[in-house]
Amino acid sequence: MAARPRVYRAEGVILRRRNLGEADSILTVFSGHEGKFEAIARGVRKARSRMRGHLEPLTRSRVLVAQGRNLDVFTQAETVDAYRRLRESLDASAEALYCLELVDRFTVEREPLPDLYALLVTALDLLEAGNGAAVTRHFELRLLALLGYEPHVDGCVLCGERLPEEETLLSPAAGGLVCRRCRAEAGGGRIVAVPVVKLMRFARRATAAEFVALAAPPEVAQELRAAVADLVRYHLDRDPNARRFVEGVSALERKD
Amino acid sequence: MPEAGAPEPIARLIQEFSKLPGIGPKSAQRLAYHVLRAPEDDARALARALTDVKEHVVLCDTCFNITVRNPCTLCDDEQRDRSLVCVVEQPLDVLVVERTGGFRGLYHVLHGSLNPIDGVGPEQLRIQELLRRVEGGGVVEVIMATNPSLEGEATSMYVQRLLQPLGIRVTRLARGLPSGADIEYMDDLTLSRALEGRQEL
Ligand SMILES: [Zn+2]
Ligand SMILES: [Zn+2]
Repeated sequence: MAARPRVYRAEGVILRRRNLGEADSILTVFSGHEGKFEAIARGVRKARSRMRGHLEPLTRSRVLVAQGRNLDVFTQAETVDAYRRLRESLDASAEALYCLELVDRFTVEREPLPDLYALLVTALDLLEAGNGAAVTRHFELRLLALLGYEPHVDGCVLCGERLPEEETLLSPAAGGLVCRRCRAEAGGGRIVAVPVVKLMRFARRATAAEFVALAAPPEVAQELRAAVADLVRYHLDRDPNARRFVEGVSALERKD
Repeated sequence: MPEAGAPEPIARLIQEFSKLPGIGPKSAQRLAYHVLRAPEDDARALARALTDVKEHVVLCDTCFNITVRNPCTLCDDEQRDRSLVCVVEQPLDVLVVERTGGFRGLYHVLHGSLNPIDGVGPEQLRIQELLRRVEGGGVVEVIMATNPSLEGEATSMYVQRLLQPLGIRVTRLARGLPSGADIEYMDDLTLSRALEGRQEL
């Protein structure tokens, strides 16, 4: 890797924070050009800290970072977007946290991923604009594609045969849809309905905004959520922690 | 890291001190040698205080604040307004609100805030206990005094939605500028919320 300058700029989304000592925090930032990185914000937990609000998780910020002996150090931070409306919605916050966790779990430090960064910012912008879980579905599917895990949804992934328009096996292990004849070799999976297959195909070419505008019926959205969850679990080898929270929140009775 | 040359009991003490939050290896070493030099009585008092805190301090069955008697003195105080419950993240926050002298209701300590990414969900906090307490009757208003952080806000909104079906009034603290802060460096979120909460001069 090329040596970074002693002081560098980055624009990114704060993914997470962990506290260090009495007043410091270590923040994980996901930026387009530096990729994911950690740096320390000194004194950021003091009421008078200048950087405090600019380095909150789920904030898009421009930062100036100085290379340190062990950890790099934030020297300046300025909010680009605090996602204020998003934070004031429990559902949108849950979706956003889930997206942040996906980014954190699927990336390694200092690998520049400008397309994934753009995808994340678009997803957060759409959540900020009042959209719901469909944003996350598009985000998950495109994230998988950008990282090389795109499920094969044109024909059978094993034999290449065209698929009739009927419910089909989606096999994370095989890497996509599997025809009836190949099912035995697919290594398990989930039978998905035709509308789910169509949504997965649509997500490949649709922008996030176009995908969200499609407004799938709740039972289709639910099935797509489970199908994509299978893919994510297969590639991460676990469920993201925030998934439980998203589900818990949407299960709570709503009256507003 | 215990010094290679330090005798075993000191090395052990250094190791224990360095487990404390905010104590690095250097500070742990300083503390350990301080204890070593201190009078015997001081060291014994420290040891007793450490074991007492684990033996005699419990959580109040009602508000989950730390206490030496159950129910705690706050919950037991007949003078306090039982219809108001102020929900805080940590036991220390109770002391802070009490210090203002401006609140005469009761408390509920959650012992943390929701942090879904780190796996801290509602089950890890005293949220079900709050629900049961409110369902028990007599509570008119729940005041969410969680931190104005992402985690604190999520916790407030979650509790609000959970309590909504009970017809309880759920409020949260107004969010203004921290005193001593500098407007020039204030982030947009804090500033715009403070603007909304502006008051007549
Ligand atoms: Zn096949
Ligand atoms: Zn109590």
